[in-house]
Amino acid sequence: MTTTLDRPPAAPPRLRRDRRRWAWGLGALAVLLWSLAGAGLVTGDVLNPAGTAQFGRFASAALSPAVDAEFLGVLTRSALVTVAYAAAGTALALVLGAAGAVLVSRTTWGRRRAGWLAARGLLAVPRGLHEAVWGLLLVNVLGLDPWVGVLAIGLPYGAGTAKVFADLVDEVPRGAYRALLAAGAGRPAAALYGLLPPAAGGLLSWSFYRLECAVRSAVVLGMVGAGGLGYQLALSFASLRWEQVWSAVYALAALCLVADVAGRAVRRRLAAPPSSTRRDPLLTTAVAGTVLLVGWSVWYLALSPASLVAGRTAEQLAYVLRAAWPPATDGGLLRTVGALAVDTVQMSVIAIAVALLGAVLLAGPAARPARSSAGRRIAGALLRGGLLLLRAVPPPVWALVLLFVLLPGVLPGALALGVYTLGVLGRLAAEATEELDPRPRAALTALGARPVAAWLYGVAPRAAGPVLAYALYRWEVAIRDTVLVGLLGAGGLGALLASELATFDWAAVTTVLAAVVVLTWLVDLVSDRARAALR
Amino acid sequence: MDGVTVRYGGTTALAGVDLEVGPGERVALVGASGAGKSTLLAVANGSVPPTSGSVRVLGASTADRRVRARVGTVHQSLELVGRLRVVHDVNAGRLAGWSAARAAWSLLRPQGLPEVLAALEQVGLADRAFERTEQLSGGQRQRVAIARLLVQRPDLVLADEPASALDPVLADRALALLGEPTLARGGALVAALHDPGLVRRHCDRVVGLAGGRVVLDSPVTALTAADLAELYRTVP
Repeated sequence: MTTTLDRPPAAPPRLRRDRRRWAWGLGALAVLLWSLAGAGLVTGDVLNPAGTAQFGRFASAALSPAVDAEFLGVLTRSALVTVAYAAAGTALALVLGAAGAVLVSRTTWGRRRAGWLAARGLLAVPRGLHEAVWGLLLVNVLGLDPWVGVLAIGLPYGAGTAKVFADLVDEVPRGAYRALLAAGAGRPAAALYGLLPPAAGGLLSWSFYRLECAVRSAVVLGMVGAGGLGYQLALSFASLRWEQVWSAVYALAALCLVADVAGRAVRRRLAAPPSSTRRDPLLTTAVAGTVLLVGWSVWYLALSPASLVAGRTAEQLAYVLRAAWPPATDGGLLRTVGALAVDTVQMSVIAIAVALLGAVLLAGPAARPARSSAGRRIAGALLRGGLLLLRAVPPPVWALVLLFVLLPGVLPGALALGVYTLGVLGRLAAEATEELDPRPRAALTALGARPVAAWLYGVAPRAAGPVLAYALYRWEVAIRDTVLVGLLGAGGLGALLASELATFDWAAVTTVLAAVVVLTWLVDLVSDRARAALR
Repeated sequence: MDGVTVRYGGTTALAGVDLEVGPGERVALVGASGAGKSTLLAVANGSVPPTSGSVRVLGASTADRRVRARVGTVHQSLELVGRLRVVHDVNAGRLAGWSAARAAWSLLRPQGLPEVLAALEQVGLADRAFERTEQLSGGQRQRVAIARLLVQRPDLVLADEPASALDPVLADRALALLGEPTLARGGALVAALHDPGLVRRHCDRVVGLAGGRVVLDSPVTALTAADLAELYRTVP
């Protein structure tokens, strides 16, 4: 051996795994297994054999919905009530949100960080409670007044809108605003000219999106008693009139579907406006139509400020507040709340896992490919229609259906939420797949890779990031919704809240609500950290 | 290739191309941008079906996955998956021979690591094996694409300007890497190239394309500067 090496050979490079991501991945897997075990899938009974016959009768009624003129009339009036609640509630939310945005924007607080954080924290409370929870609380203060439905949508939506509006305005580049301030304009005037116009598209888009969501919320509010389509559905359900139930389900699915399609059309137009200096007829019609709709809603619901300022309302509010403070802290209740909080978390985890698994499996077939056979295109269109239906029917309806065949507990709620979230997540995953550059995958097909392998190497690594991030965001939404399906009997904190409300145990209600808010806040925190690890 | 025509919508990319490449040949495709070089390569590897005419590669149809496995393509490095680590992007060249389960397992525990590292060593990127491909420069990505082809060990190499982002020394080395092992196995190389020096040093035969037609087919030794000037004249 005479060869002399100038330098020792470099150590071969080693695969260094991203520890943080692996920790999150393994952690998520452990939490999922723990949730599945908690749902009784491993050990306990989950099926309800006695309900199978009833489910058969229910399912067979799907093809023969009630179409008698009288019931259709009832449904039409109910649908109008639902739409009116949605429109009036959104209008209130936008007013509250615009005012609230000023209070929570960084622009207002400048460097006073403590004040800004406090204002933000205050907003988290109304946002953390589901519209249906607000509905049940308000009905105890206002009695059976249309304001219950409007406020139940307006308050939580208003808090969310305030946060989003503030973020949108804060993200506008500061240059124009500073220039106006330097030129001697007052702060409100400078904001009006320098901050609002660039943010206007985003503000309008969000407003239409919330109107879309409000239709679904109004249906759900009906199910807890506020009137409208949801109320009809609950009535028919309670009296076992399956034909009527199906008519109501079809009506509310159609309503949510129209809202979804129309809202997306308007938002897509806002994202890519036609290049012309003239007013866009579609957007003008949408805005004018919505304003008219809100005016009609106020009239149709006979909303009157009088009932808000009536003496009885103030008395009732004072009574509830006195009874609700201090919260109940006896050991038995706290233990129950703790156990049910665990149920609620498990329910949301299973729901997201079901939705994510389904979305990953369906994303490919549901995406619109550039070139494909007629058969595949038809299958894709059917699949997209199916996903639309899954998200058009609110989760409590799915829960009611699943309760036929499953025993009450974590599982029916989890599956109901999972099915609904699949509708949302499946569309997103399909869109993420459509937007990818097709060339890397085509190259793998060209070198002979199997379709599954080409998907694993060419598509999955690039689509995984956005889809996982969105799944985590939907987990935050799902934890709020678990309370809702619980209210209707599927277990978890929602079921406890329903029973405490039924017995007017206000101190215990406060404790449960506090637990819900803390849980929501914790899930937001964990999901936020996980998303940061994904980036 | 027999009378191959490809139309995209209204534009004709290839108009009745007849071309036969035998074993052991090194063919340079030359022509102005838009002359149809990339389309010709895409037809040859089966990713674009001809509108009319027929294509047989290695004696069979490209619809067969096993045939495609023996055809290696280097695009302008656009075929790589930036989110993957380099080692997986190189290993993707072997997907044709792997079951789906093995392909999935390899993403967790890279399979056949020695060959991958050897291929990366040949293109001078062994130390970057575990970085994400998107963190590499354009020239480095082009070399990853070549490494992918080296582990695929194809019998026909199709290369679309494989050296466009490389310096002259690396470009020579890249073409040698693409051609030599394949020819030693009795295969062939077809490369779209712009640099006359590379054409002369690495190819035996020149096929000139203009407006989707073959307008020149001669041995490299007979290629003149006037031929090249004529090819790159803008097509009306």
